[in-house]
This record gives sequence, C-alpha cells and structure tokens, in this order.
Amino acid sequence: MVAKGLRSISLFQIINTILLVCLAVATIYPILYITAVSLSDTSYVVRGEVTLLPKGFNFGAYKEVLMDNRIPRAYLNTIYYTVLGTVINLLMTAVAAYPLSRRTFFGRKFFMLAIIITMFLNPGIIPNYVIVQNLGLLDSVWALVLPNAIWTFELLILKSFYESMSGSLREAAVVDGASEYRILFNIVIPLSKPALASIGLFYFMGHWNSFFIPMIYLNDAAMYPLQVVLRDMLIFNEGGNNPSLVDAAALAPQAMKNATIVLSMIPVLMIYPFAQKYFAKGVMLGSEKG
Amino acid sequence: MAHVNTETVQAPSRSLRGRIVSVFRHMRRDRQLLMLFIPCLLFYAIFRYGPLYGMIIAFKDYSVFTGIMGSDWVGLKHFEKFFSSADFWLLFKNTLLLGSLTLVFGFPFPIILAILLNEVRVKWFKKSVQTISYLPAFLSVVIISSMIIDFLSPNQGIFNQLLAALGFEKIYFLIEPEWFRPVYVLSDIWATVGYEAIIYMAAIAGISPSLYEAAKVDGAKRRHMIWSITIPSIMPTIIIMFILKTGSMIRVGYEKVLLLYNPMTYEVADVFSTYVYRKGLLESNYSYAAAVGLFEALVAMTMLLSANYISKRLGGNGLW
Repeated sequence: MVAKGLRSISLFQIINTILLVCLAVATIYPILYITAVSLSDTSYVVRGEVTLLPKGFNFGAYKEVLMDNRIPRAYLNTIYYTVLGTVINLLMTAVAAYPLSRRTFFGRKFFMLAIIITMFLNPGIIPNYVIVQNLGLLDSVWALVLPNAIWTFELLILKSFYESMSGSLREAAVVDGASEYRILFNIVIPLSKPALASIGLFYFMGHWNSFFIPMIYLNDAAMYPLQVVLRDMLIFNEGGNNPSLVDAAALAPQAMKNATIVLSMIPVLMIYPFAQKYFAKGVMLGSEKG
Repeated sequence: MAHVNTETVQAPSRSLRGRIVSVFRHMRRDRQLLMLFIPCLLFYAIFRYGPLYGMIIAFKDYSVFTGIMGSDWVGLKHFEKFFSSADFWLLFKNTLLLGSLTLVFGFPFPIILAILLNEVRVKWFKKSVQTISYLPAFLSVVIISSMIIDFLSPNQGIFNQLLAALGFEKIYFLIEPEWFRPVYVLSDIWATVGYEAIIYMAAIAGISPSLYEAAKVDGAKRRHMIWSITIPSIMPTIIIMFILKTGSMIRVGYEKVLLLYNPMTYEVADVFSTYVYRKGLLESNYSYAAAVGLFEALVAMTMLLSANYISKRLGGNGLW
C-alpha cells in the first residue's frame, strides 16, 4: 500500500472509508454509551454529561443491581432456560436430522414434505398458546423449551451437513456390526461438532434473548427470565405508561438500568466475535436448500 | 447403501398385498432409524400440526373450560366481525405500510454495505467494520427497543439534546404518530444491516477472481466491475432474499412494535400480530384473535407464493 503511494487512493475509496467509519461508529456508539452510563456517577448522568467515557467511574450501579433480588434471580432463570433449552434443541435436532439424511429411510419424502410445510404454514400466536395451555404446560419451563424444541431451518442445515459427510466411515461401522444408534452417537455426532456448534449458537441466542414467549407463557414473576424483567424495568408501556412521556430518571436510576442491560449482554458479547463464519455457513446452506 | 429399493422398481405391477408386505419389510429394516425419528415425529405432530388443528377455534366460540373439541361451531362469525370492524382497514394499512417500508428501505442497504466492504483493500479495516456492523444482531429486541426509547427521550435523549443545541424544539418521537414509522424503519435498518450483509459477503466471496482480473486487463474501472461483475453474480442470492423477505413482510417485527407502541401511536403502529396479542391474550377473546391470526397467515402465504411465482416467471429463480 505504502509503496504505491497516494496516487492509488481514489476518491471512491476515501468516500467509501468515511461511510464505513460512520456506520461502525453509529453501530457501536449506543453500546459504548450505555456501558459508560452504567459505570458513571448518577449526578453526571442526570445532567447528561456522559457521552462516551464514564464520568465519576464507579461500580455502584452494578452493586445495586446485584442487591436487588429480582435481577440475580432473573439471571439464574435465564441461564437455566438457556442451558436446558439449548441442550434439548441440540439433542432433538441431531437425532432427528440423522434418519432424514439417510436416502433410503422409510417415508423420507413424506416426512420431509410434512416438515417443510410447517415453515410456510404458521398458524400464529393464539393456536400455539391454546395447544400449550391444553397440554398444561403454562407456567413451567417446558412451555419455553418444548414448543420450539426443533427449528426447522436448523434441522435442514444439519441434515445437509450429515449428507455431505463421507459414507465410508458408516459403511465400515456397518460391516463391524454397529447399530444405527452407535453409528449416530459414536461417529456421526462427534464428526459434526462444527455444524452443531453453529446451530447451537442460534439456539443459544434464541433462548437468551427471548422475551415474548416467556412473557405469554409465564405468569409467576419469580420465574421471569432477564429479558422480561428488563422489559418491565425499561419499557413497560402497557396501559400507556410510556417512559418517554415522563422524565426517564424518575422510573429507575438510569445507571442501574444500563448496568442491567450490560450484564444481560455479557454472555452474548463473549460469543459474538466467533460467530461470523457460522452465520455465513448457516445462511448459505439455507439458501442453497431451496 | 447395499439395499436396493425394490418398492420403487416394481411398484406399478405389484398387488396390494405385495406392496403392504414390502412396506412392512422396509419399516422393519429401518426400525432403528424409525425409533430415532419418533421424538421428531411427536414434536412436529404436537407443536407444529397441533396448532394447525387448533386453528379451528377461529370457527368456534372457544373457552378454556370446554376445550377445542367441546366448543360450539359459529361459522364465520368472528371473520365477519373482524372484516366489518373499523380496526380491519387500519390494521391492514399499518401492517402493509410498516412491512413494505421496511422492505423497500431495508432491503438495499445490506447489499450496498457488502459491496462497499468488498471494495476495501485494507484487511483489518474491512474485518473490524464488518464485525462491528453485525453486533446489533446479537442484542435482544428488548435491549434495542430500550436503546431507542433512551436515545429518543425528550429530556435526556441524545437526539433531542442535539435538536436543542441546534435551536430546534423538542420532538416527542414515540408519542407523535407521524414519527413512529420512521423510527421503526430506521432502527430496523440499524439493527439488521450488518447481519444481512454477511449473506451477500459470502455470495461475493464465491465470485471467481479471474472475472475481475480479466476485466482489469480490459481496463475496467471499479464501478464498471461492481455493475457488471459483482451485482450480476450475486443476483440469485438477492432474489432469494427478496422472496423470503416478501413472504415474511406481513409478519412485521411485532415484538418491537409491542415494545415501542402505546395508545397514542396505535393508529399507526398497531399491526395484525399486536392486535392478535391484545385481543387474544390480554382480553381473552381467543376465537376472535385466532380468526385475525388465520387471516394474517393466509395473506402471508399468498404473498410468499406470489413472490415466488413472479420471480420464477421473470428469471427462473425461485425458492422451489
């Protein structure tokens, strides 16, 4: 770059760089701002003096959040729902994809069609709610986990991953007299770790960030996950009580709210830098699928 | 794969009995796979086809106490009530407007971003911008909505501080109906542009470099290459994304609407799904809400099918 000198930098490249920098700033600024407020002294926050870096640096807001018994409990709930949900998701998907990936599997075409149809026929909120209610799952963790135990898109991704695996290992195992169960659990699943990691990421994010499903299926406030508590704390606009109407500071201290947001983002921010290649892979596989 | 599928080879001339025998033989051969498949079968039967069956409550007067089976049939009562209510046109207009505004304004940005990123020659810069740009895809809708509320707040929000600094009057963004759509659409672009660009980046990465080299030899400028190599090469991806987006257009991000709207903005913000949630779950009008939801599902499916049909007629690229 340096050797070519300034001549190789065109106007287009300059404008392009400026545009991309603006985009990056616009994306990251809100998150930095929220973090800065959460670490600032309340007096600076109220006067609106915090912009990018924390002023009057302290962890007071975090201490308060952790003392308020609602939030640690919600945090633990979220961890519980996410771990349980993701494990069940992965197990169900990994097992379901295997028979479907076998070309001679009994009724394969019929099952595939029946599964794909569900991607286009979505009956909406009420019939889903009624089924969960009729099964007696309301107010239990199973209402959050079972109705979404398999995501069809993820199932199709894993199925094509299995299909792309070499068949010779399987044949060797068949010769050795291994059952389908052994082949699946001892060969296929261990070999598909990258694909499982990729769909596991989607499942994890789905559970961690889910707010609507727990909101409608859980009535007991002690069971609320973080996102529902966050919503009550930050937004709560049913019945027209919109925070933008009143002074935001009057509801709950801004620093405390933002500390809660930051805490809820930590696990997500930890995995996100590794996610890019999985995203691309998952989405591309999906679009080839057709 | 040692088995030959005898069923398909001989099927036409087989007797019924022979065919049943062969099905049983096939099932017996695959019994281990079928055992593995049972959880999946149960899941789809209960949680995907169950709700499809549950849709019949749209034609009944459902109550929790009588159950789906025991409730009385009422025919099209709930549909008639919905179609004749003033809410119908309002919801129809809001859903289509919000959905199509998001589609029209939101669709090109990821493509543009991917192309611009592709033109960056400095690797670390390209990678950093891209990594930052899809960060919002990892944030929950609650966090994104709370950021919107926070930043647009009349007293402390950064936008109103900016307006004040420039000598303008405060704007109550989330209370004034005319601001709801711009706020919704712009924040949607902010949240999804980087994530969706990944798909186009991957498509661009698949273009053969020899095409660009040949063009360079012919003296093509960058913009020529963008117009005649990059864009045509990723056209199939663009079309598939467009069909998918059209199909889901009617299902506007109701979670975000739910978090951002309030009675003052219902007239512009209320969409089918939020209405279904309010009528059905908050006011317990299950059957009426199910009828609205069924109508929404039908519109969504029609749109997906027609988008697919049109694109097949135009360029031969469809979802199926």
